[in-house]
Amino acid sequence: MRTIRNLSILAAASVALLQPALAGDTLDRVMRKKVMIEVTDQAYPPFSQVNDKGEVVGYDIDVAREIGKRLGVEVKVETPTWEIITAGRWKGRYDLCVCSMTPTEERKEVLDFIAEYYDASAVIVTNGDNVAVKSAADLNGKRVGVEASTTYEKYLNKNLSIPGAKQQPAFPFESVQIKPYESEVMAFQDLGLGDGKRLDAIVANYVTAKDQVDKSDGKFKIVGEPVFHEPIWISADKDDAEWNAKIKEIVAEMIKDGTLAKLSEKWLGADLSPKS
Amino acid sequence: MRTSLPNPNSSSKAQTAFRRRVVAVWGVLLALFVLFFYTFNLKISYMVEKFPALAGFNLSANDFLQGAALTLFVCAVSIIASILLGTLAALGRLSGSSMLYGMATFYTSFFRGTPLLVQIFLIYIGIPQLGPVPEAIPAGIIALSLNYGAYLSEIFRAGLISVNKGQREASCALGLPNWLTFWKIVLPQAMRFVIPPTGTQFIAMLKDSSLISMMGVAEIMFLAQAYGRSTYRYLEMLTTAALIYWIMSLAFEILQSRLEAHYGKGFRDR
Repeated sequence: MRTIRNLSILAAASVALLQPALAGDTLDRVMRKKVMIEVTDQAYPPFSQVNDKGEVVGYDIDVAREIGKRLGVEVKVETPTWEIITAGRWKGRYDLCVCSMTPTEERKEVLDFIAEYYDASAVIVTNGDNVAVKSAADLNGKRVGVEASTTYEKYLNKNLSIPGAKQQPAFPFESVQIKPYESEVMAFQDLGLGDGKRLDAIVANYVTAKDQVDKSDGKFKIVGEPVFHEPIWISADKDDAEWNAKIKEIVAEMIKDGTLAKLSEKWLGADLSPKS
Repeated sequence: MRTSLPNPNSSSKAQTAFRRRVVAVWGVLLALFVLFFYTFNLKISYMVEKFPALAGFNLSANDFLQGAALTLFVCAVSIIASILLGTLAALGRLSGSSMLYGMATFYTSFFRGTPLLVQIFLIYIGIPQLGPVPEAIPAGIIALSLNYGAYLSEIFRAGLISVNKGQREASCALGLPNWLTFWKIVLPQAMRFVIPPTGTQFIAMLKDSSLISMMGVAEIMFLAQAYGRSTYRYLEMLTTAALIYWIMSLAFEILQSRLEAHYGKGFRDR
């Protein structure tokens, strides 16, 4: 009997713990604490990367800092792994994700997409010695590296659709052998081992790929035309319409007064900011 | 090493010769190992430059421990918590209460039966759904403590039942109270069997703590990846991280052999 009583107490305690927490009001929290927490990838140069002092810097960080400045709050940066960011349900842990994220239908279920802040194109990168792969059609049956849980992986799986894109991607290949990597940099390490050693190609963001190609001394090259274009949006945890409206307003201002274009020139070497 | 010498009656001279040969073998293997890494064509200057940050000699950009210092901090707290959890779970399993037995076995079954990485994600992403939102470092400590507590409980239980029942009966016959029997008779004898596997667990924990880098905790592995990816010097940073982990493990090994010698006093060759 005592066991049964104890068990029921245990069960009651568990049920009490399981009460859903109230959704935190992001705008209220940020303005009250005077701190906005930006969440992004720890190293996705030049969007985010660690400098000599151990601080995270980059295009995404500067955009977040500018938003913070216009809100009149301090900006702190958190860099958990990508899966934790895209899992959503942040429960007030992070406030805003200026983190090079493409809106997709699945992500829209757990995150709110607020405003577009640059246009990214996806390209095919190969080893410098490659002659076989010239376009997306040549990827058929090849071993292609991508960062896991990205739109590039979905593209190779032929199930990418981009809400809000002017043109939906085409898939001119039957099937490819997808090699997902935890980080794109690891994929470049493998591609650098030699043409077809571990990988035949990589599909990646043009900006990060160009950075790699420029630093590689001919070890890598970008081949063919971009395989698709995607608008990159700022996102946040679901259901705080006031916060979303406020951020949307600030980003629109930053586009209008040329701040976003200037930051894009500084970090990405070209103006990829959306035109108002 | 003391008890594993080929001949227990060997003179101290033979012992010294044995040790000297072991040191020589280590030296040769280490030289070959360094040569192996040398072929990677690493940029040594970058490794030297980033070593102090990875080793945690300076504070992070937000004025907290980082690198190896943070790893040691996380492990120290987790070691204490996991010993407590392990002891409670072991006592629960040995107790006559069905409630305690059930809870202890459920706990060890789940935390030994699922990967640590899954537990880390479940704790970090899952607990906030209940209300409290743990920071990354406490979440990491909770995950490591729960996981290693489960393993330790089995080691502790094995240690406790390894002490012959006759010891307890003799103590009882001498009129010693239960707690004193446990403290002075059972525990010191159990310790002798518990120390080596426990030491192994803590060395494993030292390296498993690298998994909490997933939550953005700036420990050794996180910094190695962050610097490595930002500057495309990934192999350099991984090698530096490996070196630091190895040095720390060696320190743990020495500590373990000291403790082992202490609790093995009664069984030493004379």
